[in-house]
Parts: sequence; structure tokens; C-alpha cells
Amino acid sequence: MIGVGRFIQKRQDFEDAIARSYQVEMAARVKVAQGTGGLAARRVVREQATHREDLRDQISNDTRDTAILVAAGLIAGLTGALLLFSGLLASLRRPLEDLVDAAGRLAGGDLSTRVAVGGLSETATLGAAFNEMAGQLELEASQREMLDRLKDEFVLTASHELRSPLTSVQGFAELLMLERDTLTANQVETVQIILDNCNHLVRLLNDLLDLARSDAGRLSVRMRPTELAPLIDEVVRTMRAQTDGSQQVLTEELDPQLPTVEVEADRIRQILVNLITNAHEYSPEGASIEVKARVIGDDVEVSVTDDGPGIPETQLEHIFERFVRGDAGLTQRVGGTGLGLAISKSLVELHGGTIEADSTVGSGSSFRFRLPLKGPAPVAEAS
Amino acid sequence: MKTVLIADDSETILLLMRTRLELAGYMVQTAADGQEVTERVLESEPDLLLLDAMMPRKSGIEALRELRAAGYEMPVMIVSAHQTPGDADAPTDLEIDGFITKPIDFERLLSEIATLTGAEATQG
Repeated sequence: MIGVGRFIQKRQDFEDAIARSYQVEMAARVKVAQGTGGLAARRVVREQATHREDLRDQISNDTRDTAILVAAGLIAGLTGALLLFSGLLASLRRPLEDLVDAAGRLAGGDLSTRVAVGGLSETATLGAAFNEMAGQLELEASQREMLDRLKDEFVLTASHELRSPLTSVQGFAELLMLERDTLTANQVETVQIILDNCNHLVRLLNDLLDLARSDAGRLSVRMRPTELAPLIDEVVRTMRAQTDGSQQVLTEELDPQLPTVEVEADRIRQILVNLITNAHEYSPEGASIEVKARVIGDDVEVSVTDDGPGIPETQLEHIFERFVRGDAGLTQRVGGTGLGLAISKSLVELHGGTIEADSTVGSGSSFRFRLPLKGPAPVAEAS
Repeated sequence: MKTVLIADDSETILLLMRTRLELAGYMVQTAADGQEVTERVLESEPDLLLLDAMMPRKSGIEALRELRAAGYEMPVMIVSAHQTPGDADAPTDLEIDGFITKPIDFERLLSEIATLTGAEATQG
């Protein structure tokens, strides 16, 4: 076998030799044609033909050898390159797999996730960038957590601190009302406005406190076996004072089979008052409001339905979010805090239940919550 | 006539509660902190204590703990700006006869005081 370089040289020599052979043969043929070369010239012509055939055989062997050599070289080169590449791949793969793993953990919420930085400079750079990002996320999360805690603390403290002055304002206004006989009609009206606003402030404070507790995971319910029917009945009777005032008809339809359920009575009362108050405040004079309670499967469903103006779909979607309130529309009574439904939702969920609303503009709204029965509750309560 | 001792660190609230209770026919004593509560009770045993849970110097709870340890057994109501006894850090080992939140629902307060003291209160 020969090298490629030598082969190229040989190929050149071959071309030269062939050319020379033709020249020699031509010279001999000229002599033959002139009749001056005799037999010797004829022999030269024959020999040159044979010589060129030998040369061609030789060069074709060399060409084949060289081709084999080139192919072998190519294969060896490719194999080497592949080996090199797979080595490279291996050194890329580990760090990349680590990164994919870590990104998964990070996305899963483990913000303390870091990767080992090393290997090729590219993967090391990537790893360092990942760690920096994770560090930043962790820092931001802890700052956000601290802000949330501060906010909750602030709301709790503010709502606590505001109660003392509010107690005085409300208390002294009530004192004035105790002597209403000595007040003029205007003065009575003025004091009543003070009292109404105190009530509104108290509701707002209580709602804010509930929400802050809910956010801090500190809103809890103390479940006790509770008879739902008397509870609903009591709320409905209390609320009639308000609905009667605007000639609204508040009715109730309670399943006589209503069982005892595990709930915190005060909280269920709070939810019901919220729902009935909304129906009352958003419906015009003379509207009907119906409170229903019945057993459906493993749940008790309580609904408050009105034939008021209804809620447009765009508002209905967000109706359980904070500070989302419907348009006062036909009524001037709306005095809510915009927090009632958000709190009701938290409370229903704390009881393991669900709450939903549907409404048709022009024909009314219906709010329903379901509470799980949690098995057959004992009829007789322990005394 | 039944005597009620009211403790609160706010003079305005003391004035408010004193007025409402006197209108309802009670004798009223006041204290501005836990220390004064102990002193007043030692001087003249009131029929009922109405304690603000949070007061400077000595809290209503601390005063109550001392008084109970000393054998005083009159009924006690806690008035708190917190919304539940749990929030007000009300002790579970002390007997408390009532818990009322601020702003005060006086109708409820007066009816509970009447029940606890056995007084024929004239609702004010």
C-alpha cells in the first residue's frame, strides 16, 4: 500500500511515462513510415504498446489500494469523531439531567433547590445561572411571605385598635338614643346616622378580620352537632325586620327531614345573614326572597333565591371575590362591605362544603351552599 | 343594690359603661388596671367583675388569677376587643362567666349581668 501523497506523485509519473511512451512509439512509427527503422522500429512500436498496458495495470492497482486506504482513513476518522462526540455528550448529559431534575423540584415549590456546578464551561455557566435564579426566587418568596405576615398582623392589630374608639362612638350615640324623648326629630335622625355608620364599620372590621384570619390560615370552625331547621328559622325571623321594612316577602321552605349536621352554628348563621342581606339589599321593594333547605344525597343544600334584578354574567364570574359588588341599580340600600360573599365562601369551604350562584338578568338570583352530612348524626345531643 | 367593678384602661369606655350600668340600677366602681382591680376587690367585695382583657401594668387576666387563688369567687365577665376568647388569650384554667366583645352590645351585657348577679335590673 502507498500513501495518498505518493499516489498522487505516482499518478503524475504514470501520465509522464504514458506520454513519453507515445512519443517513442510515434518516433518509431515515423521511421517505419520512412522505411528507415527496419525491424527494430516495428519492435519498438509493439514494445511501447505492451509497456503502456503494464503501466496502466500498475496504476490501477495503486488506485485501488489508495481508495481502500482513503476509505479506511475515513472510517477511522468518523469512528474517532463519534467516540469524541459521545464523550462530549456524556459530559453534557449528566449536568443537563441534573438541571432538568432541579427545575422540576423548583417548579414543584422547593425553592432551596440548587445544582452542583461543574463539567464543561457551558454547563457550569448554565448551572451557575440556574442557582442564581433559584436564589433570587427563594429571596423573593421569603420577602413575600414576610410581607403577607406583616399585612395579616397589621389587619389584626388595626381591627383590634379601632374597636375601642368605635365602642365609644357607638356607645355614646346609643346613650343619646336612650334619651330620644328629649331630642328633636332632626337630632334623632342625626344620631341614627351615626349609629348606622358605626354598624357598617363594625361589619367592615369583622369582615376584614375574618379575611385576614382566613389568609393567615387562622380562621377555624368549631363543629358541633346542630339542628339546622331552628337555626335557619331564627335567622329568617330576625331578617324579616329588614325585609318587611321594604315590603319584601321573605319566606322559608324547610325539608321536615332536615338532619342534625356538624357545623359551627354562628358561622352558618353568618353565611345565611350574608346571603339574605344581599338578596334584600339588591332587590327592589316588594320583591320575594325564598330560603330553602333540603337534603340532596350526602349533603344539605341551603338556597336563597330572589326575584330581583339579577346579576350579569360578567359580574357573576367574580361574585365570590373580595370587594366585588353588584350595581346598586334599583335600590339605595346597598350597605355591604363587598366582603360578605368572599367570607361566606371561605366559611362554607371550612365546613367541607361548596357554594355557587346563578342568575338571570331580569328574573333574579339564586345562591346555594351545600354542607356534607358526615354520616348519620345522633338525634339526641349529649347534655 | 348590686355592685359591679369595671376595669378598662380607657377613661371614655369607663365613663360609657358606668353611665349605662348606673342607668340600669347598679352601683359602679372603676379600675384602670389590674393592680387597681385587686385593690378594689380587697376593699369592698363587688358582686361582679367586668374586666378588659388587655390593660397596662397588670392585665385583667392576671388580676383574676390572683383573686381566684385568694378564694374570691364572684362572677367575672371579660370584655375584649378580640372577637373570641381564644384570640383574647383567655385562660382555659380560669372560670369565666361571660365573654363580651367590643363594640359592646349593651342589651346583651346588661341581661347577662342581671342573670349573673341575680339582680332585678331596671333595663336602662
